[in-house]
Amino acid sequence: MQAAAALFLLNQQLTKLAPVDLLILVLYFVLVVFIGFYAKGKANTSEDFFLAGREMTAWIAGLSFVSANLGSLELMGWAGAAYQYGILAAHWYWIGAIPAMLFLGIVMMPFYYISKTHSVPGYLQLRFGEGARAVSGVSFAVMTILMSGVNMYAMALVMKTVLGWNISFSIWVGAATVALYVMLGGLRSAIINEVLQFVLIWAGAAMIPILGLIEAGGWTKLKAQIAMNLGTGDYTHMWSTLGSFKDNPMGVHWTGIVFGLGFVISFGYWTTDFLVVQRVLSANNLRAAKMAPVIGAAFKMAVPFIVIVPGLLALAVLKNPDGSIMHLVPESMAAATGQHSYNEVLPLMLIRYCGPGLLGLGITALVAGFMSGMAGNVSAFSTVWTYDLYGAFINKKASDKHYVAMGRWSTVIGMLVSIGTAYLVMNAASIMDYVQALFSFFIAPLFGTVILGMLWKRATHAGGFWGLLTGTVASVSMFLWVQGQPSALRYIAMSPNAKPMAEDLYRALWSWIICVVVTVAVSLMTRPVPTEQLAGLVYGVTPIPHDGSVTLWQKPIFWAVVVIVIFFILNLIFW
Amino acid sequence: MKRMDKREREIESGELSIWFFCGILMLAYGIVLVATGLVEFHHPPPNELLLPWLESLHPTLWWGLALTVFGGFYSTRFRPGRR
Repeated sequence: MQAAAALFLLNQQLTKLAPVDLLILVLYFVLVVFIGFYAKGKANTSEDFFLAGREMTAWIAGLSFVSANLGSLELMGWAGAAYQYGILAAHWYWIGAIPAMLFLGIVMMPFYYISKTHSVPGYLQLRFGEGARAVSGVSFAVMTILMSGVNMYAMALVMKTVLGWNISFSIWVGAATVALYVMLGGLRSAIINEVLQFVLIWAGAAMIPILGLIEAGGWTKLKAQIAMNLGTGDYTHMWSTLGSFKDNPMGVHWTGIVFGLGFVISFGYWTTDFLVVQRVLSANNLRAAKMAPVIGAAFKMAVPFIVIVPGLLALAVLKNPDGSIMHLVPESMAAATGQHSYNEVLPLMLIRYCGPGLLGLGITALVAGFMSGMAGNVSAFSTVWTYDLYGAFINKKASDKHYVAMGRWSTVIGMLVSIGTAYLVMNAASIMDYVQALFSFFIAPLFGTVILGMLWKRATHAGGFWGLLTGTVASVSMFLWVQGQPSALRYIAMSPNAKPMAEDLYRALWSWIICVVVTVAVSLMTRPVPTEQLAGLVYGVTPIPHDGSVTLWQKPIFWAVVVIVIFFILNLIFW
Repeated sequence: MKRMDKREREIESGELSIWFFCGILMLAYGIVLVATGLVEFHHPPPNELLLPWLESLHPTLWWGLALTVFGGFYSTRFRPGRR
């Protein structure tokens, strides 16, 4: 996804911190370490360590759920995308998230929750057997640890280029802090920090759109200014330019946005990526587990205000010292010419509006976002490693205490591997693109497998395994095809006018379709799983317990309807 | 249902609630920003000198005040030991 673009190559130090900024940063680190020691006292059993004791309220699980996806890599990458492609980038926050989050809460969460699984690979084991768990567990463990390293390096690079800090210093301080608080407190520690980070992100970044809109003279004048600067009004419309690949800056078509992004990628990520699902599994009851994604969706709808609006503002107000409009460029060009790249948009806007104090708050929010990204990946890795790999294939009968110790050790070892990855990325930046792409290989087919497993009782073990494997192989093959022969994009996106952004959308769509077709075909050719073995796992053979809600205000479905209505209104407003 | 709400309240207002952590950090930041904003009344920072319209808005002071109120509310509402 676009987050890959956030690994940018700034070529000069942008600013420096005043003592008050350092004070704000130090206060954050002190609190984070304190939280780690505080949470340690509450992480005695494996349920405590890996699922925060399953005692989080809907609000906490919901904020943590949305915050796990609100890392700094995403924030800076999507602000840069908004500068590059305009308001189309907001699709990744609205249609690319909201319907899937609501679907997770209302339809899928009951199955995850009542099956009492500890992880998504764990659910696959219950539904499709050990083969599917092994494929999913190994790929997820490798990807999370690589992503943690990518986050680490990206943070170090931002600190170096924005503030001039030494890369190794940033890597080791960040890694040591995250390892300490996750090792001590497990998921509880990670969740507390994610909620804290969510508040920090808003506290640190909200001044940019507020002051920017004051400077621009409001939304209407901002749109007019962008249209004048760029000579087109396409940058401020979400849907009206999607009738053809060549009518919009992104080079995509509405079918790719609706089916590729809105259905496959979004549903794949938000309903089967264990990193985010783990947060909801920590909820203290079924109603909280259903409400958490709904609450997360409501907050997710607001995120474009602090991510997309700054990117759009930069198109209108960002100027060179001589008063001319500043033009940001792709990273490759920025490295050669010394100009600023698209992905520097957020730091540039932060520096424009924020003096000492506010700047420290913004930088701290970015650091918190990076550290939270590392912690999220490492805590999810530690759970999948301990439950789905070590506990499933290496040591099946250890004591609960042993598994907690393994969780702590795997956190430390995971961080060390992440540090290795960070240095690897430092020496070959293109690795990051591949790491990001690897995630997309698994997400779409995994969604096909999980959704068929939950909704179709005829899906068999062999069907699930072969569907997942074939879908993944198909995704990898399409990626390699376009890498080797860029013109192949016209076949995958079905248009000669498609641009690279369209590739992810259609590759996901095709790999999902292949996964579903193979799963259905193999399932119909193999012996059905006895119905009694599917109880608690599949729709139609599972009595869903009442979630305990009595009044309308307590019902998750009511709030889901409220959120989806607001979602439609927002899309119409920015049509 | 009553039992569930009581349990939720216990977790949210337990020994050290997550909301208390959020509140105390925002309160600390609010106080720091208010102090910085007051100093900047007479010594505007470089970015405000470049953007004169920004100087009259005193964003550091007002944002600091907002965080102080937010942080103060959450620190008090979810302070340790409160039931």
